[in-house]
Amino acid sequence: MKILKDIRSKYPNEFVLFGIFVFLFVVMSILSPDKFLSITNLQTMLFQMPEFGLMALAMMIAVLTGGMNLSIITGSTLATIIAGFFMRTEFVQNNPALGTLLAVLMTIFIACMTGVLNGAIVAYIGVAPMLVTLGTKTLFEGLGLQFTKGSSVSGFPELFNKIGSGTLFGIPYTLIILIIFTVLSYFLFERSKWGMEVYMIGCNETATRFSGVNTKATLLKVYIYSGLMYGIAGILIASRYCSAKTDYGSSYLMQALTAVVLGGTSIAGGSGTVAGTILAVMIIQTVSTGFNIYGINRNIVNIITGVILIVVLAIRYLTQVVIDRKKIRERVSQSRKTA
Amino acid sequence: MQKIIEKITKKKELGVFLMIIILSALITMVNSSFLTLDNIFDFLRSNATIGIMAFGMLPVLISGGIDLSCSSVISLCAVVAGYMMAGNSGMNPVLVVCLIMLLGGFMGLINGVIITKLKIPPIVTTLGTQTIILAGVLLYTNGMWISGLPQWFIDFGKFQLGSIESAGKLTGLSTQAILMFAAAFVTWLMLKYTLVGRGIYAIGGNRRSAMRIGYNVDRIEIFIYVYAGLMTGLAAIANISIVGQVDPNTYLNYEMDVISVVVLGGASVMGGVGNVFGTVLGVILMAVIKNGLVLARVPTYWQKVVMGLIILITISADVINRKREQAKLVRVDVEE
Amino acid sequence: MNKKRWISVVVAAALCAGSFPTAVMAAEDPYKIVVMPKLTSIPYFQQTGEGAEEAGKDLGVEVIYNGPTTADAAQQVTMIEDYISQGVDAICVAPNDPAAMQSVLQRARDAGIVVLDWDTQADPSLVDASIHNIDDKTFGEHMMQLLVECMGTEEAEYAIVTGGLSAENLNTWIEYATAYAEENYPDLTLVADPYPTDEKQDVAYSTTQDLLRAYPDVKGILGFSTPTGPGCGLAIRDLGLQDEVSLVANAVEDDVQDVLSDGALDVGCLWSCHDLGYLTVCVAKSLLDGNTLEDGMEVEGWGEIEVQDEKAVILGPPEDYISPESGVESDVAAEETEDTDAAASEEAAEAETADDTAEAEDAEAADTAEEATDAEEAEETAE
Repeated sequence: MKILKDIRSKYPNEFVLFGIFVFLFVVMSILSPDKFLSITNLQTMLFQMPEFGLMALAMMIAVLTGGMNLSIITGSTLATIIAGFFMRTEFVQNNPALGTLLAVLMTIFIACMTGVLNGAIVAYIGVAPMLVTLGTKTLFEGLGLQFTKGSSVSGFPELFNKIGSGTLFGIPYTLIILIIFTVLSYFLFERSKWGMEVYMIGCNETATRFSGVNTKATLLKVYIYSGLMYGIAGILIASRYCSAKTDYGSSYLMQALTAVVLGGTSIAGGSGTVAGTILAVMIIQTVSTGFNIYGINRNIVNIITGVILIVVLAIRYLTQVVIDRKKIRERVSQSRKTA
Repeated sequence: MQKIIEKITKKKELGVFLMIIILSALITMVNSSFLTLDNIFDFLRSNATIGIMAFGMLPVLISGGIDLSCSSVISLCAVVAGYMMAGNSGMNPVLVVCLIMLLGGFMGLINGVIITKLKIPPIVTTLGTQTIILAGVLLYTNGMWISGLPQWFIDFGKFQLGSIESAGKLTGLSTQAILMFAAAFVTWLMLKYTLVGRGIYAIGGNRRSAMRIGYNVDRIEIFIYVYAGLMTGLAAIANISIVGQVDPNTYLNYEMDVISVVVLGGASVMGGVGNVFGTVLGVILMAVIKNGLVLARVPTYWQKVVMGLIILITISADVINRKREQAKLVRVDVEE
Repeated sequence: MNKKRWISVVVAAALCAGSFPTAVMAAEDPYKIVVMPKLTSIPYFQQTGEGAEEAGKDLGVEVIYNGPTTADAAQQVTMIEDYISQGVDAICVAPNDPAAMQSVLQRARDAGIVVLDWDTQADPSLVDASIHNIDDKTFGEHMMQLLVECMGTEEAEYAIVTGGLSAENLNTWIEYATAYAEENYPDLTLVADPYPTDEKQDVAYSTTQDLLRAYPDVKGILGFSTPTGPGCGLAIRDLGLQDEVSLVANAVEDDVQDVLSDGALDVGCLWSCHDLGYLTVCVAKSLLDGNTLEDGMEVEGWGEIEVQDEKAVILGPPEDYISPESGVESDVAAEETEDTDAAASEEAAEAETADDTAEAEDAEAADTAEEATDAEEAEETAE
């Protein structure tokens, strides 16, 4: 019990989010124990979550610096499209193992290069991230369209498609990948020097620069890391759908932003935790799957997601107000006592 | 003449202005029908919707906020306007326009209240309301189109002020373009000559200082979002008067178009910067890009690439230009 | 603690509001058939949905008509996965992208679910049946033929306007249409790659205006996807080119009456959306009953069906909505349509078209006896 209290006082936001997640999960389970709680459904959810989670992480790192990355979707599809063309070559068909490995590396490399483009313009020219990524979003989509003429690229080696559908002791590979990168992100954001700099930039870029941090290099790395995350998300998507196309995953863009904000990351930058983001992803996934199972119109699901977003943020603010008032009252009474 | 040129070159809208000139010259070289009055009036007409919304978005961005919900609000306004008018030709036209603008304003009020009273950041609030409103509209309409708008409304949409002969046709300024210029004028007046307008710049520059000077920041912020809503309502009227039908799905992703137009026009998403003249240029630049890419016969599959590049170049040039000027100022300070 | 309770109340209220209607329909017995469009909330898929739900009522099966809100393949796959874990009897999907559907449809079949595709074809080896409006090749070629007929010449420039550059079925039609034109009308020139319109009417409007300025010699426009019909039509009207430029486009009939009236849109071309949804559910039920598909077999609620290549069920030829000003002589395709289950309103609407056609033909004094009787019959129905 004490541990619980400790966690609650240390991570109040994550605690509330976890509460909401458990609550939603329990409600869904009670409403349809045979469907929602079935092994296949839980496994399906675990298959679906990783790509969304990685997209949310890609968005989160940019938001932490007070920026935003609107090019996560088209950047990832551009990377997978190019890798997709590579995977159709004879070389890969003859050497599937080596080819898949190369294709994965290639996707990551291209995604990181799109990140370099974003980062360079943001950091070295100094244009607002939202605009840069709005421009590159269009640019990457245009390139993808030009390469594919709008159709999808398919015919990948079986091994590549295994990434998205295979399991290890019943646990999907995709989930393992998500866990690895969540942990990596945690250590990079919250436990490393670079992470500290990222949060500092989010709070006050000028002050950070004057305290001796090479903010430009840090920002560049932020967008490269974002590229890495959406590149891997792209691999998962391409492998789950055995194909690549410019508009795959387009609905994840706003969802990712929603998850990041719901997870407690400040949109102005400077605060937020990886755990919060992942919890928010789990909440949205539960809502979405739970309602799909009932066959409820997607529009209602969207409304509920929107309501949860605003309500949770309102509650977060109101609790803050209450806590602040309490503190003020305590201080006042304390100072009276001492006086 | 020299003075005017000097004035323009000193302004920070120079980048956008040059871009428009260069693009227009290039396009005209490929296709001479680009610079005809007929075409210009036409692209003003088809870009009026984005334009009107942009003048609503401008104060929001100047104050340091953002309004993502405008695409859903315009959909809601268009649908309600459609239901009000379809099969009910006796409606008073002025009343319809007023009611629709009020509806937009009311949605803005909701945004404003959530933002100021619950202190949820504008981008989050409007992301939420965007999702909720659009989903609600689609749920109610099922995405069905509304047709059968009364004849007076269709005529209203077809009205042309003046008749000049161009490219073998009589052409004039359309209703939609007039509405857009009216919106621009009102916004200009509001920003330049009213206390509220100065307050908006003050908030965008430094919120806390604005509060200390004595501006009622909350009230001004609510006003900004209501104003954006009113403009969105007007844009809904302009839009459905072009096509004479209401399609609730048309407005998807409009918010990004609107924001890019305003920002191309020199407004900063960080707040404090921006003016009506710049936004007008932004609207024109976006219109020139869209219209020109087709007229210049750029292959379809390359159009998005070119568009992305133009956006990136324009905003980068703008920022570089601004930085250089700042550096000059610093040097002057030091030398003096 | 208080705050948390408050959260719970709010969330619970939201949940109850959403889940209440489904809690009622818990009866287990009837077949559960999921019909998934590419996206909900557009007129085309709204009408197919009405058809599917009506069939569900008529046949006593539970039809769940639900799909993503944007035409995103990823969201569609996610939703199908959820339905697989729910354990439904049949899934009928209009894939946004056939390639992306492969693994999920395989999983559905492994779970013992009957899989159908409709509207757009999925990988044929993964479906039990495939409901086609008509095969894509015939449809693309049909539109091309209509365009040539409307233009009245085989030597001209034409352009294509499409819903989106990455829409699979539209691309297929465009491919067949252009291939057909290259082969049969060598003097026709396509001026540029297809112009995308984001499935938006006002984009179709301004794009059409722009393209007619860019290529003033264009004599014909093919519009694929339903917003192009009214969108391109209005643009042509506003430029005053009704007589010079011919437009053949997909269109939902109710939405194009206006542009058809003066020949801005010459021919609107689509099948009955309602029937497509209806037939899909009928075939799904028949398969669930254990029948195997055969050409000419009787399907409950529909009647005789036409089956090609063992799996493809053909709805029938497309319906053409012809403008009185178009100069297209006869409406062969529409008359062949067997509307056994068509709603009364549709018949009335068809009658209008036939009526219009008849008038136009009267003016040209070129009507055959058969067509005249048809028109008369239609007139009677309308009255």
